[in-house]
Amino acid sequence: MHKQALLPSSGQLESLETTIFIWLLTTMKVVVKNWHAIAQWKWDTGNNDADEGDVEGDVCGICRVPYEGCCPTCKMPGDDCPLIWGECSHVFHMHCLLKWIGTAASKQQCPMDRRPWVTAERKVDPS
Amino acid sequence: MAVSSRRLQKELTEIKTAGTPCGITLLKADDFQTWFLSLEVLGESQYKGEVFALMFRFDPQYPISAPAVQFVVDDKYKAPLHPHVYSNGHICASILGGEWSPVLSVIAVCITLQSMLASCKEKKRPPDNDRYVAHAPDNPKKTRFVYHESDSAAAP
Repeated sequence: MHKQALLPSSGQLESLETTIFIWLLTTMKVVVKNWHAIAQWKWDTGNNDADEGDVEGDVCGICRVPYEGCCPTCKMPGDDCPLIWGECSHVFHMHCLLKWIGTAASKQQCPMDRRPWVTAERKVDPS
Repeated sequence: MAVSSRRLQKELTEIKTAGTPCGITLLKADDFQTWFLSLEVLGESQYKGEVFALMFRFDPQYPISAPAVQFVVDDKYKAPLHPHVYSNGHICASILGGEWSPVLSVIAVCITLQSMLASCKEKKRPPDNDRYVAHAPDNPKKTRFVYHESDSAAAP
């Protein structure tokens, strides 16, 4: 639901590397018989500007597993182990956060800022 | 594999690749139940030249449940003389009790305790030390500490 497909745009396909690759294929007289397109997915945490260098920002603060992985009790990443957003803007694996909120010790507070946890509706950036 | 083991394995890998902050050294982490780290306050402080050891005990729900943390008291190590540290090594610190958060880590706890020692003005035991130590449970997590700004008071 909140996943964002990262497929190359037509502009990226016409990049210099592609041009060189096609040139190599023609000069080496190699014939491409078939090819597979591969897609990858990433949770859209609204924090994509910081995807370089900000490695820490891409893991769940509770289990320290990347958002795209799953919480320690799940086996399959993806829709079966989704993320949860707080109105305070902090993001966790839903299962990790619910395990914490379910304890009396949590006082129903966000683990990051100790403000009362309020689950946010994901606001999708229109751009 | 318990949830705690996975998380602790990640913390251990980070300690071994990135190292530990100044004054904090990993002494022993042979399993995912009990770890030992040494702690000293570098620079000018009441504890200049003193080295302490911390024992962390984890249950399978870590980091959802707080680790049990105390200073080691044996032939080699002593508990620091501090208004929040009992002579049996138990520590009255809010982050080890009611203010624990699962985003904290072993190293984060060490840093907090290091700064607790660094900011100490007067080396003395908590006012109820003898009474507490006489009846203290083995595991400090079983103690309901009452947190004060300055002095400690425990209700075992």
